[in-house]
Amino acid sequence: MVEAKYDPQAGPVKVTMIIAGVVLILLMTFGLIMRLNQAALIEIEPALFYQIMTAHGAGMVGTAGLTGAAVLWYFMSRYVPLVGAVYNVFLGLFLLGVVLILGAIFIGGYAGAWTFLFPLPAMSGGLWTSGAAATFLLGYVSIGVGFLVMHLEVGRQLIRAYGGISGAMAWPLAFGKGRVEDAPPASVVAAMASTIFNVIGVVFGAAVLVASLVNLLVPGFEVDALLAKNMIYIFGHIFINASIYMAVIAVYEIIPEYTGTPWKTSRVFAISWSFVLLFVIAVYPHHLLQDVAMPAWALVTGQIVSYLSGIPLLAVTAFSLLLYLRAGPIKWDLASSLLVLGVAGWSVGSIPAIIDGMIVVNKVMHNTQWVPGHFHIYLILGEIAMAFGFMAWLVRDARKSAPTGTRMGGLDRLAIGTYLVGGAGFTVMFLVSGAMSIPRRWAVHAPEWTSQAGIASLFAVLVIIGSTLFVISYLRGLAGDKDA
Amino acid sequence: MQMIVLAVSLVLMALTALCFAAAIRSGGSARPADRSEERRRGLIWAMLVVGLVVTSVSLREWPHSVSAAAADQTVNVTGGQWFWEIDKTELPRDRPIVFNVHTADVTHGFGVVNESGRLLFQMQAMPGYVNRVQYVFDKPGNYRVICLEYCGVAHHDMITEFTVAAN
Ligand code: HEM
Ligand SMILES: [Cu+2]
Ligand SMILES: [Cu+2]
Repeated sequence: MVEAKYDPQAGPVKVTMIIAGVVLILLMTFGLIMRLNQAALIEIEPALFYQIMTAHGAGMVGTAGLTGAAVLWYFMSRYVPLVGAVYNVFLGLFLLGVVLILGAIFIGGYAGAWTFLFPLPAMSGGLWTSGAAATFLLGYVSIGVGFLVMHLEVGRQLIRAYGGISGAMAWPLAFGKGRVEDAPPASVVAAMASTIFNVIGVVFGAAVLVASLVNLLVPGFEVDALLAKNMIYIFGHIFINASIYMAVIAVYEIIPEYTGTPWKTSRVFAISWSFVLLFVIAVYPHHLLQDVAMPAWALVTGQIVSYLSGIPLLAVTAFSLLLYLRAGPIKWDLASSLLVLGVAGWSVGSIPAIIDGMIVVNKVMHNTQWVPGHFHIYLILGEIAMAFGFMAWLVRDARKSAPTGTRMGGLDRLAIGTYLVGGAGFTVMFLVSGAMSIPRRWAVHAPEWTSQAGIASLFAVLVIIGSTLFVISYLRGLAGDKDA
Repeated sequence: MQMIVLAVSLVLMALTALCFAAAIRSGGSARPADRSEERRRGLIWAMLVVGLVVTSVSLREWPHSVSAAAADQTVNVTGGQWFWEIDKTELPRDRPIVFNVHTADVTHGFGVVNESGRLLFQMQAMPGYVNRVQYVFDKPGNYRVICLEYCGVAHHDMITEFTVAAN
């Protein structure tokens, strides 16, 4: 079968990870500012709080997507001859989008949140102009077009090299008489599935962005609010999930280097990714469980598919990783530890998410801080941990020759420990706050809620310190690379 | 409800984390388990069975059901930037009450909180739709209405109150 045969396109990917690392630290600081304000330890105007919230949300979702895309591109360029210029177009459109979004928020005052829920962008109550809202949405369009172009190139090449979508998804093995030896590498299956669902998500996103833009410019143009909401959450759910499913490619590709056993495309693996493809698309109604205008079957589907989504994650990806860890000695360094942490954090974070996907629970947890509670677990301790792990792996050679000579230095242990304790404490405080019915997205908190926010802020500082150590070690690794 | 949800979540999360911790601590010394695929199948089946039970128990009574018998106890609620308007502010206890939830502008979230600050239920207020939600208040007292869908700069200030009579 097709084995890795091309030199991966490392340069632009390494640059991407520099940008991502710096942006993450900046946006985490925005997050800390929000939590400090909720703790009443600092005081900022609500308008500024909501601008920061919009920048943090859009920026973090975008950065997660960016790091996922970098992992996808890097590893797929090992297997298929991706056209390098496409990645540069993707990165250019992404950065253009970032400029438009930041301008819309901090110059235009846009604070309609990353979800731009129709018709809020057009009805700000005087806080921002429709020009600012349009600029924000155009920023999304630019980023969306970039993702589309990038995915179409990856998809096109995988389809050509592995015998169509069916071959790249390992359907002959999953559902037919295909043999394990003929199946594509595990990461190709993950890449094909993520590419398919992210293209679908971005297309829905583009449609609702255009509808919202027309609504801004032609006030008489009516959009059904429930339809718009459906499309926004199809897009939002798929996009953020795709970032995790792309990042996990780093686990499939890198962990075998540390264990010596390849991550095979087994039958169970192939079947599970076909279900992932289905579930990621079908699960989005779990964001609309408090909309009784939705047909009941859609809400029931949302609840059931939320639960089922846990099976491929826990019983396949997490379970296989546990088998690897038990079966043979793994070399621990910053990269392997962070990648394992990423899968663990993703698994742990899926639990409060699945529970909130039950309609009865959602009735009292939806839009409380329970929600940022669960998604920060699988983002901070999941997707972003994998991204930091990928960064550490990119510079592993430079780091090995470090003066200490050990693979896992004391500073690395300190960084991971700080990040893990900070991330766990920070997110558990959100869950506790959610269970105490503290709403999400409130600039100002009641006096009886400030102590949770204060404790959470302390943990957030640890997350930022840990992240800064990861990024510094990456930059030093890159510098060391050049000297060599 | 919320505290049970928190406790169950934290226990399951801790167990999952422990599986990883144990695997890491085994240091790769565990016997290469030849029964591991059997165990995996067991886990999948166990998750399916638990899922079936939890789904049917949690949906046997439709969580959003609104009964016709409650139609005489109807309250109209309207959310707008940034206020709540509620056409009855004194409600009876122990009787099903139906709230018709409207919005005057963007999407809001109609959330009702009891005196100890616990969220009792919520419903989205969508432009172009009237969403109905039913609840039985079993304790008299003051209840607060809050907004649970981000709606702009004074979202956190959209608060009003109603009372449930002692009799
Ligand atoms: C030190 C790290 C971080 C801190 C202190 C932080 C803090 C916060 C706070 C305070 C909120 C608003 C909570 C509320 O609704 O009341 C928030 C929302 C959010 N955060 Fe973070 N966060 C951090 C890391 C991350 C990361 C790594 C990601 C994703 C990769 C992320 C994604 C988001 C998203 C998507 C929202 C929702 C924004 C919205 O509701 O519109 N955060 N964060
Ligand atoms: Cu979702
Ligand atoms: Cu609101």
